[in-house]
Amino acid sequence: MDITELQPITNFIKTLPPFDQLSDPMISHCCQSLSIVYYSKNERFVHVDNNEPQLYIVRSGAFEVTTENGELIDRISDGQYFGFSGMLSGEKVVNKVHILEDGLIYQLPLNSFNHLRASSQIFDRFFNQAFAKRIRNQGDITSNKINTGRISSLISEKMVSIDGASTIQQAAVLMSAKRVSSLIVIDNKHIAGIITDRDLRDRILAKGLSSETIIKTVMTNNPITVSKDALIFEAMLLMSEKNIHHLPIVANNQPISMLTSTDIMRNQSSQPLLLIGQIGRQKSIEKLVIVSQQLPALLQNLITSEAKAQEIGRILTLVTDALTKRLLFIGEQQLGKAPMQFCWLAFGSQARQDQAAGADQDNALLLEHTTDTSSELYFKKLAEVVCDGLNQCGFPYCPGNIMATNPKWRCSLQQWKAQFSQWISAPQPQALLNSTIFFDMRPIYGEVSLFSQLQNKILQQTKNNDIFLAALTRNATQQIAPLGFFKNFVIERDGSEVKGIDLKHKGLALINDIARIYALANGIPAVNSKQRLTALIGTHGINTEDIHNLMDAAEFIAHKRLINQSSQYEQGVPLSNYLLPDSLSSLARHHLKEAFKVINDSQTGIKLKFLRQF
Amino acid sequence: MLHSYFMKIHFNYRYWRCRNLLLNDYYKALEPLLELSIEKAPLLALDLEMTGLDAKKDQIISIGLIPITNGEIKLNKGQHKLLKITGSVGQSATIHGVLDKDLQQALPLNEAILWLLKEAKGHILVAHHAPLDLSFIEQALMQQTTQKCRLFAIDTMRIEHKRLAHRQQIIKEGDLRLGSCRSRYNLPNYEAHNALVDALSCAELLLAQLSRMGGAGNVKVSELIC
Repeated sequence: MDITELQPITNFIKTLPPFDQLSDPMISHCCQSLSIVYYSKNERFVHVDNNEPQLYIVRSGAFEVTTENGELIDRISDGQYFGFSGMLSGEKVVNKVHILEDGLIYQLPLNSFNHLRASSQIFDRFFNQAFAKRIRNQGDITSNKINTGRISSLISEKMVSIDGASTIQQAAVLMSAKRVSSLIVIDNKHIAGIITDRDLRDRILAKGLSSETIIKTVMTNNPITVSKDALIFEAMLLMSEKNIHHLPIVANNQPISMLTSTDIMRNQSSQPLLLIGQIGRQKSIEKLVIVSQQLPALLQNLITSEAKAQEIGRILTLVTDALTKRLLFIGEQQLGKAPMQFCWLAFGSQARQDQAAGADQDNALLLEHTTDTSSELYFKKLAEVVCDGLNQCGFPYCPGNIMATNPKWRCSLQQWKAQFSQWISAPQPQALLNSTIFFDMRPIYGEVSLFSQLQNKILQQTKNNDIFLAALTRNATQQIAPLGFFKNFVIERDGSEVKGIDLKHKGLALINDIARIYALANGIPAVNSKQRLTALIGTHGINTEDIHNLMDAAEFIAHKRLINQSSQYEQGVPLSNYLLPDSLSSLARHHLKEAFKVINDSQTGIKLKFLRQF
Repeated sequence: MLHSYFMKIHFNYRYWRCRNLLLNDYYKALEPLLELSIEKAPLLALDLEMTGLDAKKDQIISIGLIPITNGEIKLNKGQHKLLKITGSVGQSATIHGVLDKDLQQALPLNEAILWLLKEAKGHILVAHHAPLDLSFIEQALMQQTTQKCRLFAIDTMRIEHKRLAHRQQIIKEGDLRLGSCRSRYNLPNYEAHNALVDALSCAELLLAQLSRMGGAGNVKVSELIC
């Protein structure tokens, strides 16, 4: 048969690495020998025949490779492979392949596989590397968060170097002038050694040598260096293996800069800390606005470094908190000391510490007692400084006007207590729907004891309050996760335009609702959904497995949303919560369905518990 | 059971009536396959490209065949033949991509039908919307043998129709097209269309449908053939 007539198959194979490196005749030879099999979830496992090993090329569907004992080794989806380990090692296959989603597999027999390996070095190397990686991954698939950045991205300052014939005195002067802890010692344009702070102490002062000692005699000779193209990870490894803190960076055998362990630490975790530090030092709103322009880049960085969605939300919230605090500080500087004690409150996502890009502000002022005209004016002005400032820094005004600038949400502890009592004791469904946001509340600045008094009062009233919890539950179950009866995605449309799956309102918001209801029912003061769920472990009414499932679902959906928004950001389209399911791999699709199913099950759970509905 | 009994009678009847030797052989080889499970039975997926939809007026342009054995489709067993036609491929060229110039090494219709019968012998035919394809083959056979005959096949479209109706789903226009059926089983969308690719698409669809029925081992040929 002429394989060119099966173009869809050859076209698919041709796009897959390492097949994309093969010549057309080789591709054609390989496609000739393929056989096609459909695997269904009902069969649960792919039956791998040890006498007839094959390379399984996944065309569609999702699969999981585990060891005999059920430890996860690999997850496989469209365009990926399994079955190569047995063919490479020649050993009997003991790993199991679970079928997660129905799918089609193209199977390449052993002799064709070996033929391709023999004729193409790239092909051979690809599968050997995949095999090696597989072994490393055994039972540890989650720890692959190696930082893949390159050292060149860390080079910030110009190299500080000194000639080998100089004296220690000169070196110390240079180090203190340039504010560095180490110097590269140059001899004939080449790197001869390094000298560090510590050397000055241990090798000179401690030994009583004079400050006129020549550097060459005391420096570390032929230091270990690292190429500017090496991975940051490799540098970390070198430092910890050799127990050193300084690595000269070289390019073309020429030293170009020094890499210190502090540089790496800063790169690894401290970017947000740096930003928060910067925020805390600014003295004017204009400067704060400039500093906060780094936020989108920071978010992008965090996403590409594969931080957990939960952590990213926390970090963004920390930045918002810092901005709010600094604005309040600036406001107090401008307006003078506050006429009474107060507490600045945040609601919604900032309170829950799960802010996303482009989140709007929800805040209020909690005052010690009722205001008179002058104190009212003071807090009005203070609120304006903060809310306007936040708006300029990229946190738009709340469309529902839940902000401290609104006199309604700038009231005394007594008034707040009364307001909450009204929501809790006579829950009107619509009024309650609009006020759920207030039940996620966190103090940001000011007198925390005011907040604690309010929160204690609220929790006392909500705990085991059947009528209130039933009303909350009724509201929280009006939306359901977008899964149809046959477990297919329900996609939202706007006229003929396909909008996709709403990951926020049909996903994360529902999990937040569920966590909130359980937390209020049990009098748990935590506000962050994960913390609420964690605090619920061991309480009555929800079992631990369901809690863990909900946490995993929240993390997965939040992560998908971040990735989606990050790609929207890169494409320059407006950020939204809508995900197009076509953009997902079968595996991601499977996980997303599972996550939605967890939400639906939990909703059934709260209906049963708080509404007595089946 | 009853269905299978009637089918057997029907085959015997066809067998005795039929004077054409090749056709005779075909029917004879078919009968023992009826009682087999689909898994064990040799299947042959078939697709025709035609100049139109009317077997009496329109002509076959190409035939694609690919066998399914033990639940596996081997790509190197696929076959594709172009047929000589009178006149031009005309409008349908835009659908099949078969151009007049491709048809120069094509087989005449009678040779192609003999080849098809030989390949099909001992196999159960599988096609998507089988009655259409079979009607063209039956028409061609009638011209050659001057005798009316009827062929049998497993129709993936009929299976899908039954399945959707069974789930009480509303069947909309286009829901039963090969591509739409395939997407319900997470099968990829094959871009290019020729008789062989469509035969392969149909074969894959049958494998997927069988797995939803609880595996090819549990379904008998006689339950699906018509």
